[in-house]
Amino acid sequence: MNRFGNAGKLLFFVGIPMIPLVVFWFVPMAVSVWLSFTNWDYISPTFDYVGIENYASALTSADFYNALKNTIFFGFWTILPTIIFGLLLALLLRKGLKGLTGFKAFLFAPWITPMVAMSIVWSWIYEPDVGLLNQILGWFNLRQPSWLTDSEMAMWAIIIVTVWKNAGWAMLFYADALSKIPDELYEVGNIEGAGWLQRMKTIVIPLVSPTTLFLIIISAIDSIQAYDQIQVMTQGGPAGSTRTLLYLYYQMAFEQFNMGQATALATLIVILTGVLALIMFYGSKRWVHY
Amino acid sequence: MEMVSRSRKMIHYALLTIFSIVMVFPLVWMFLSALKTPEEIFAVPLDWLPSNPQWGNFAGALELAPFGLYIFNSTFTAIVIVFFQIILSSMIAYALTQMTFKGKKLLFNSILITYMLPAAATYVPSYVIVAKLGLLDTLAGIIISNIASVFTIFLMRQAFMQVPKEMIEAARSEGANDFAVLRKVMMPMCKSSIFTVGLISFVQMYNNYLWPSLIVNSQENYLITVGLNRFFTTSGTFADQWPLIMAASVLAVLPLLILFVLLQKWFIKGISDSGVKG
Repeated sequence: MNRFGNAGKLLFFVGIPMIPLVVFWFVPMAVSVWLSFTNWDYISPTFDYVGIENYASALTSADFYNALKNTIFFGFWTILPTIIFGLLLALLLRKGLKGLTGFKAFLFAPWITPMVAMSIVWSWIYEPDVGLLNQILGWFNLRQPSWLTDSEMAMWAIIIVTVWKNAGWAMLFYADALSKIPDELYEVGNIEGAGWLQRMKTIVIPLVSPTTLFLIIISAIDSIQAYDQIQVMTQGGPAGSTRTLLYLYYQMAFEQFNMGQATALATLIVILTGVLALIMFYGSKRWVHY
Repeated sequence: MEMVSRSRKMIHYALLTIFSIVMVFPLVWMFLSALKTPEEIFAVPLDWLPSNPQWGNFAGALELAPFGLYIFNSTFTAIVIVFFQIILSSMIAYALTQMTFKGKKLLFNSILITYMLPAAATYVPSYVIVAKLGLLDTLAGIIISNIASVFTIFLMRQAFMQVPKEMIEAARSEGANDFAVLRKVMMPMCKSSIFTVGLISFVQMYNNYLWPSLIVNSQENYLITVGLNRFFTTSGTFADQWPLIMAASVLAVLPLLILFVLLQKWFIKGISDSGVKG
């Protein structure tokens, strides 16, 4: 093949698919960083360069730290239960039971549904006076909080929906990982009289640790991007208690049209995501058994 | 195989049944609530079942907003997006697996990094680009801005790497050029992976909310997620609205549930095989 032919082929196979990728990913990423050094407000055609002012004002504002705290809280309390619950469900599915596909389908079903629709359904379940959840809590004489309007509870309400939607997804990955553990390993544990907890600690958890790492990374990146459930159920309220960094970014950009500050925040979110991914990737060498 | 006592098995079944009910219950509750009268839905203590199913609630919801049109818009855009994603991704995946060129590694790494980045970080400039193209408030704007999918590129590359070298070489020695190899060898060999990728991408596009909600403003262009949330926020939470809101939610979820019932094996197998983002 001559050089021109090769170049032409490359232009076709790489060039064409790259157009949308460059236009809607690479260029916007770069432009977003550039805008973060300006005071553009979307409406006016001109803007000034303001240096690092947008970053300085973000990093000194209470809103930012509040949103950062909410993001970390939300991330931690969705990832941990999703992973524990996913592993437990997968362990239940394991032993040659009948109807496994059926159970898997039921447990996984929430993942398929649109978050917007399910957040609306959950808003109804969370309704303080007549909603399903509080009526059930009432049977056991438990406290019946006004879930979505109580700043102590709203974040938990969002977390419950998110875990509900993702646990079945985590289960599928663990079920796959567990099916690759040889049965003999289990038997050895049994003969030596190892209890369930002991077996979990010495056999199961180390062997599924690559899956755990994968799920943590993906869920962390995902939790930083959570938006739909917050938008539908609380719009970041009450009193900013469910406003995550991403939600704050959305409000700055598309409610206040403060593009400079919004893109500065976007850059900080990207850096945070990147650092998180790197830490987990390299830190994993200490506790992941491949 | 470890000997599992019968009682142990029963415990597993019992727990699995309980958890399955808990997971599916919000969906069941949505269906039941959609069929109730305002009095029933607000009853304390709970009325579990509607005494006389109010099928008219669906007609009532459809009268207030064109959910059929919204569902059509979502399905249509999602299908077109997936179609282009598959074509474009298969081309670049072919280049990444079958061609040698300068900067290949750099290209793959930048795609890999993009996979990790929050898409929302691109929304401000992307919005301006869509506006400059004159595509704000059009379905074309949603389609064009979504056809680049790092996720499909990534998975197509993985699928193409599994194709045996001998098959490609055999085709080449029979005079097949790159287009023919891609179309007649790679695509057919990876049929099931491509189908799974397309299916998952379809669900993600159908469920997509934030970005489409920024692009479209007029009712005739609403996607189902946008239209449903607009309906929810404008109808208020008065007693007589809840059954209609639930009926509208059922309409929004139903196409996906049907798809899932028909193709659940593909979803379940595909997701654990491919490592799909949540």
